[in-house]
Amino acid sequence: MQDIAGVLVNTVISAALYATMAYGLAVIYGVMRIINLAHAGLMMLGAYATLALFTRFGLDPFLSLLVVGPLFFLIGVVLYRLVVRRLPRSGATPSMESLLLLFGVWLVLQNLAYVIWTGDTQSILTSYTMKSVPVFGVRVGVPSLFVFLGSVLSLVFLNVVLRATYLGKAIRAVTQNRDAALLAGVDADRISAMAFGLGTAFAGVAGGMLSSLYAFTPDFGRSFLLKAFCIIVLGGMESVTGVAAGALVLAFLENALGSWTTLPTSLQDAASFTLLFVTLVAFPQGLPGLAARVRAAFK
Amino acid sequence: MKRLPLAAGTALAAWTLAAPLFLERGTLNDVWNLAFAVILASAWNILGGFAGQVSLGYSAFLGIGAYTTVLLSLKGINPFWTLPLGAVLAALFSVVIGLPAFRLRGPYFTIATIGVGEAVRVVASSVSFTGGSSGLRMPAGAFDFTLNYEAMAALAIVTVGIAALVRKSAFGRALAAIKQDIDAAESLGVDSTRFKLGAHALSAALVALAGSLYAINFQYIAPGSVFDFRLSLAIVLAPIVGGVGTVAGPVLGAIVFSTLQIKLLSVPALRDSYLFIYGGLLILVMLYEPKGLVGLARRLVARARRTPAPPPEAARAA
Amino acid sequence: MPPEPLLSVRGLTKRFGGLTALDDVSFDVAPGEIYGVIGPNGAGKTTLFSCLVGALAPTAGEIHFQGRRIGGLANHAVVRRGLVRTHQIVRPFRDMTVDDNVSIGAHFGAGKRRGTDARRRTAEVLDRTGLSSRARDLAGTLPIGDLKRLEIARALAAEPACLCLDEVMGGLNPSEIVAAMSLVRSIRDAGVTVLMIEHHVHAVAGVTDRILVLNFGEKIAEGPPHDVLADPAVISAYIGDEEAAS
Repeated sequence: MQDIAGVLVNTVISAALYATMAYGLAVIYGVMRIINLAHAGLMMLGAYATLALFTRFGLDPFLSLLVVGPLFFLIGVVLYRLVVRRLPRSGATPSMESLLLLFGVWLVLQNLAYVIWTGDTQSILTSYTMKSVPVFGVRVGVPSLFVFLGSVLSLVFLNVVLRATYLGKAIRAVTQNRDAALLAGVDADRISAMAFGLGTAFAGVAGGMLSSLYAFTPDFGRSFLLKAFCIIVLGGMESVTGVAAGALVLAFLENALGSWTTLPTSLQDAASFTLLFVTLVAFPQGLPGLAARVRAAFK
Repeated sequence: MKRLPLAAGTALAAWTLAAPLFLERGTLNDVWNLAFAVILASAWNILGGFAGQVSLGYSAFLGIGAYTTVLLSLKGINPFWTLPLGAVLAALFSVVIGLPAFRLRGPYFTIATIGVGEAVRVVASSVSFTGGSSGLRMPAGAFDFTLNYEAMAALAIVTVGIAALVRKSAFGRALAAIKQDIDAAESLGVDSTRFKLGAHALSAALVALAGSLYAINFQYIAPGSVFDFRLSLAIVLAPIVGGVGTVAGPVLGAIVFSTLQIKLLSVPALRDSYLFIYGGLLILVMLYEPKGLVGLARRLVARARRTPAPPPEAARAA
Repeated sequence: MPPEPLLSVRGLTKRFGGLTALDDVSFDVAPGEIYGVIGPNGAGKTTLFSCLVGALAPTAGEIHFQGRRIGGLANHAVVRRGLVRTHQIVRPFRDMTVDDNVSIGAHFGAGKRRGTDARRRTAEVLDRTGLSSRARDLAGTLPIGDLKRLEIARALAAEPACLCLDEVMGGLNPSEIVAAMSLVRSIRDAGVTVLMIEHHVHAVAGVTDRILVLNFGEKIAEGPPHDVLADPAVISAYIGDEEAAS
């Protein structure tokens, strides 16, 4: 059926972007057990940064990701050192103080954007914004394709960092077993700073890519934040594959609902939020937990 | 010293109720806004401050109250009767969300409430019988501002009174126990889910009542205004900055934010900076004084007491 | 005719993923007994208590209290039936006064007291546990000895028919231990059956009627203190002596 091909292709494309978005949240949560509500604001800033680079220097939005990534890494480290590090940490369990603190940061970022760019809706229009190409018989917008490529590259880069560098291994260690990692000599403060930088970089890059697909205002980011939460709850934060799995499920649900029902787009968002809610309540361990339980049942 | 809050509160309450006699309409509007903020802050605090369950989705209850009033008024029902109905509906909805959501702890519960709030807003914007995203208008008719004002002021006083009663009661202590150590509370017989649901329903009903009065006052509501996330956030900021878990905290916080809002709106340069100020306040509070203004005040008082002892007469009088 | 057991456990098993914390444990506790539970670290003692009161759901097995099934009930429901536990690592409500802490037990426990009735019960319990002078102090300011007493006081206020004490003597000096033993006896004399997990083997021998010994989640001995403590299997479990076990 033509429909299925369309749904599948769009699912994969959306999933890559969602995974990039979600990973930024996952790494911070995994290393510091902090729920970064400022992630939405950082994505929004990423979009605006890309816009600024585009309007000022005519830099192609996708090329500018090479600038946005490192820039936002630095912003993340600074944010960590200035603000997040000062929080009394409760350790293993996520704290309300950090949640609310980063909420405050989100508000500040929003205001920053309003002041610099006003509340007008912005969008980035390039020569290829309106073009589309056929992929497996499905028409896909060129920006979407570039977003897919950008996301895949980011995730590949991420995988390399996680597997081959000290930083990456330390991040994985702390995520899986904080105490053991600290005993093994991991510098919690440095890794946290790096993780926050990495998470922020991903937020910026995701925002930059989103700016090619959607119009945006300083209020931008909230619904994407919720989708990112949905994904990390579904997929667990332990691994990139988990996040990818969660992203695929959410993307599939959205595209399926869009293609096969007459549900208006806005209500599709409500469907995502409901999925988040249901997942949080029905399987708090997400898909990995579900998979583990299934495996245990078959032992 | 302990009598001070009660005396101050009673004086404030009396002044608020008598205000239409001596304040002009413009200032009365400001007091109306203040009362509105006090209701939302104090009601939210029953679940968020006393029980420690931070919900960022309270705009849903405000909207339920507002929409119930408008929709039923459009059908010809006297707005006065719509108030209790709105409150009941909000309470029911709070139980429906609460039953699954309260299985989550801490920040996960908070995220779930963000999701619910957004879902409700999105549904209200899309469904036609709620007027879609363009909202609804109250039926044309005589509107008595003084009556609405008195109702809002009375509701504010009642809400603070309820919060005070809850705090002192066994129910309040159970909520405090739940906040500090939910498993220990359960191990002493506290059915934490039932209490959380109860606190949620009570605060939802109070917020809905405020929403109904809001709708009557502004005569026009839209999902963008009553279901907005920014409203949920404003509801949360006042008690947090003022001091969660106390009775005076939300009131203090509401006063601070209401005054801030008035000042900000009157200075054009600062008008767009309110998010910055709210965000900044939140950051400062979380970093330096999580117990808010009330906590700060108590710390200062305690520190003052530790200075060389005042003459015995002064100490006894305090 | 032996009295109907107050607490009856059959085949209690608890698994966490691949780890079996409790394996087919069965025992009865008669009303009015002081029943000890001992075993090396990790034997599953606290897990046993958690399963009894409903803080953990057993993987398998049956628990009967006062003749009725309680396996599967939530913690607060089990407390209402009269089975209450204390925590090995004390969990006071630090921002509340000692008085308020204990009142939680009085209000929401098996006694379901209200108003002045609850206040009276709270005062009684504070008196019995020697905390009356500290009633208005914030729990967070108490030293560890008083915190342990508070833990017991809260549980007592809930009017249990059976009280499960988890290592109440941990960290106490010899004279405090003697006082604790005397408190446990007075609790039993007031009509409350007591289960106690203890590491102080001699203290527990001095105060209990019977002892259950767990090792790696399994019951390896049960009986009067003297017999159990002389049992080679029990000795080797504590010392890890492979020879004695064969």
